[in-house]
Amino acid sequence: MFGALDRLLNRLYSACGYLAAGFLIALMLLVLGSILTRLVGIYVGGLTEFSGYAMAAASYFALAYTFRAGGHIRVTMLINRMSPGLRRQVERFCLVVATGLTAYLAYYMSQLTYFSWKFEERSEGADAILVWIPQSAAALGSIVLAVCAAHALVRALAGAPPLEADGDNAAAVE
Amino acid sequence: MDQVLLISVILVVLFFLLGSGVWVAVSLLGVAVIAMELFTSRPVGDAMATTIWGTASSWTLAALPLFVWMGEILFRTNLSENLFKGLTPWMHRLPGGLLHVNIAGSAIFAAISGSSAATVATVGKMSIPELRKRGYPESMIVGTLAGAGTLGLLIPPSIILIIYGVAVSESIAKLFIAGILPGIMLAILFMGYVGLRSIARRGAEDEAVEPYPWAEKLRGALLLLPVVALILAVMGSIYTGIATATEAAVLGVVGALLLSALQGSLSLETFKTSLLGATRTSCMIAFILAGSSFLSLAMGFTGLPRGLAALIVDMELSPAVLIVVLTLFYIVLGCFLDGISSVVLTMAVIEPMVRQAGFDMIWFGIYLTVVVEMAQITPPVGFNLFVLQGMTGKDMAYIARAALPMFLIMNLAVALLYLFPEIATALPAAM
Repeated sequence: MFGALDRLLNRLYSACGYLAAGFLIALMLLVLGSILTRLVGIYVGGLTEFSGYAMAAASYFALAYTFRAGGHIRVTMLINRMSPGLRRQVERFCLVVATGLTAYLAYYMSQLTYFSWKFEERSEGADAILVWIPQSAAALGSIVLAVCAAHALVRALAGAPPLEADGDNAAAVE
Repeated sequence: MDQVLLISVILVVLFFLLGSGVWVAVSLLGVAVIAMELFTSRPVGDAMATTIWGTASSWTLAALPLFVWMGEILFRTNLSENLFKGLTPWMHRLPGGLLHVNIAGSAIFAAISGSSAATVATVGKMSIPELRKRGYPESMIVGTLAGAGTLGLLIPPSIILIIYGVAVSESIAKLFIAGILPGIMLAILFMGYVGLRSIARRGAEDEAVEPYPWAEKLRGALLLLPVVALILAVMGSIYTGIATATEAAVLGVVGALLLSALQGSLSLETFKTSLLGATRTSCMIAFILAGSSFLSLAMGFTGLPRGLAALIVDMELSPAVLIVVLTLFYIVLGCFLDGISSVVLTMAVIEPMVRQAGFDMIWFGIYLTVVVEMAQITPPVGFNLFVLQGMTGKDMAYIARAALPMFLIMNLAVALLYLFPEIATALPAAM
């Protein structure tokens, strides 16, 4: 019954993951830029702040992608020892908690961004940009995470296999 | 509401959520929301969003994904093979033979990677089959690797030290430099153990081999040269103050890409997998940090950390007793949680207490790293054990037993660090 929607959502998570990877490259280039400009004695204001924003965007856009890949740490010691039936129930409980709290996070990150936009709040750093611009990456990323958690919850309630079976679940390096 | 009830509510909720398998970051958010709703009248959600945004966009934290990425790139080169080939001519005549390659190899890889699991995986990839072929006892192969892998977090760059530095607002550069000597000390202690054990058995387990000619030794050194140059560039730029930790991390990424290109192991595929791996790992850490920054804020409102710090002062514990208590606490905690989670989870409460007791925060960071790493080789939850389980096919109990001597040596290292704090503080003081 999920077919098309499943595929669409999965593509959304992957797209956000690639976007996050792009921001990681941007972060590297920004820091590299600040080193090089300093070496030749030119001062470009705001590079430090922009690096921070790239870091935030990389983290937030990757949230759902990492969630699907099973990359977020959890304590599995107890649930690994449960009977399959009990474990299914506990997994559902975990997903209910995760959906609730990530939705809460998404709501307030969006609100923060909305108010920054409404009051045209500017960064206090040398960049002085409108802070809603970088904040919207955090808002969008946490919304996609909440969608992903809800998606996983619906699948678990319907008895479908978990989301993680996607092939890109590389060995987690601590 | 009184303090005892407060502590009980928080602990019960926290352990219930963590124990049932709720993601660590989500558990932290949940506990913080509950603590703030119960104990303050501040708007909870707004405070959460502001705090989390501040942490996520901090410049200091930017070092973290970059160092993770550097490790991911180097993990995919033939560094593992080069470390083994390069070190073998130098190590094989020592009592204990090629077991030293595990330790020295880990120490070198640790200096370019911030993670102990990655260190174990990279060094072990080559050395496990080679050492098995030469008949070294399995328990020593596994034990030395599990123990020496912990150097990954102590010798800079270190993910735990970045997280600790951000949590307590101390200089990452100083923390990195402070980790160098204790890391070397630990490596020497491990090698000393291997050597003495072999001498005690009159070299019964060592292989009898002819010494390598000098040409061979030099060729080995040449293989190691690029890596050593990269380490010196990254650490040297931090130590001399030319670069901040974040800038040094970028030098590291660029250097790692160059090194990997020179070796011919850089392809679009390895670039992509290393980048995506780094994206996932740093996202996982950033999410936990987001949760913990909010939890710290919530804890501050409840007054719990201050209360606990005052309590410790009232008890008039001597620093030595406090350290023993904390060590036991972290080892027990580490039986259930990974290193990053144990640090972020406890810093909100531990930091005021430690400052109150008058510890140097740089020194404490190094101490904490060693203790948290000890917990990584204790069952049932230990990342190094998991990695070795996957690589050797031995069960957890066997690996944990093999790693026990290394665990004891690390206890000795903590004692030395306590008795001679200069091991950690001398280098950063001279910066």
